[in-house]
Amino acid sequence: MIIVSLVFLTIKNPSSILNEMLTSSASAFTLSLELCSVYVVWLGILEIVDASGLSEKIATLMRPLIKKIFKVDDPITQQLIAMNLSANMLGLGNASTPLAIKAINHMDTGNQTASFPIIMLIVINATSIQLLPTTIIALREKAGSLSSADIVLPTLITTVFTTILAIILVNLFSKIYNWRKK
Amino acid sequence: MSIYILPIIFIFVFCYAFCKKVNAYETFVKGAKKAIPLVVDIFPYIASIMIAVALLRASGITESLATLFSPLFNFLGIPSQLVELVFLRPFTGSGSYALLNDILLQYGADSYISRCACVILGCSETIFYVTAIYLSKTKIKKLLYAIPVALICSLVGSILACLLCKII
Repeated sequence: MIIVSLVFLTIKNPSSILNEMLTSSASAFTLSLELCSVYVVWLGILEIVDASGLSEKIATLMRPLIKKIFKVDDPITQQLIAMNLSANMLGLGNASTPLAIKAINHMDTGNQTASFPIIMLIVINATSIQLLPTTIIALREKAGSLSSADIVLPTLITTVFTTILAIILVNLFSKIYNWRKK
Repeated sequence: MSIYILPIIFIFVFCYAFCKKVNAYETFVKGAKKAIPLVVDIFPYIASIMIAVALLRASGITESLATLFSPLFNFLGIPSQLVELVFLRPFTGSGSYALLNDILLQYGADSYISRCACVILGCSETIFYVTAIYLSKTKIKKLLYAIPVALICSLVGSILACLLCKII
């Protein structure tokens, strides 16, 4: 993909390549600084949520479901997944990213091949159920929408559907993979 | 409504911590400390992905792909105006939000196209970027079927989104 784009660019506009690379790495740097300040707030809040025992409460509520979908038994992993999914549902992408990283590190066995729960977490995060797409509603309002929230219901239906589809497909593919390995 | 959600969550968390006799300030500082190492860890991944996406966009490949696949997407019920958004979305969050903003301004915030675009964005994720960051601290190289499944689900989501916006 990268090679193809490089070749394309060399034909079209060779002088722009380094420029493009430098501009985007500069914007990656500013993005990281922004993320850093966002993570300071969220990791601080999350630490309080953890220390007060609130995350255990949330995890207990979601435990049966997580056990069934992810097939993990470790309570800390279950707790991290529960927190990641709840942050995702509320549309708090910035809070859910550090939680997902933590959860994956907890599930990591040092193998080069991703295990079933890790794949499931990645795919479910990709389709995540959205109760409130806050950023999108704000953008619509700014563009002069009269009923900015009327996308909430279709978004919810779509994400519920794709999440169920994701769970089914991951299970199906893992069966095929295990069967072929044999 | 939605603007009150976050403040309510924050108030609830602090009240709960107070009831449980947790020192909120010290605990917050303890958590906040972890932010800088985390960002240092994921920065190389963010930078590499963003450089790759910039090259991809500048080369015009996403646009050519969009034109190429436009008939197929039309057949599946996705309007041509939204094909580039569907293609861009797995790679870049900021890029697709910028494109959404253009669509909103060009077609009007309450038009069918704009509503579809909003739902498509709401039900999908920057798959490549997020995956690279999630795995940044592990040795995992082989993801097996994770990316294809995520992409299939996003595409199905986009098709469903365009269908639902017609009905609702």
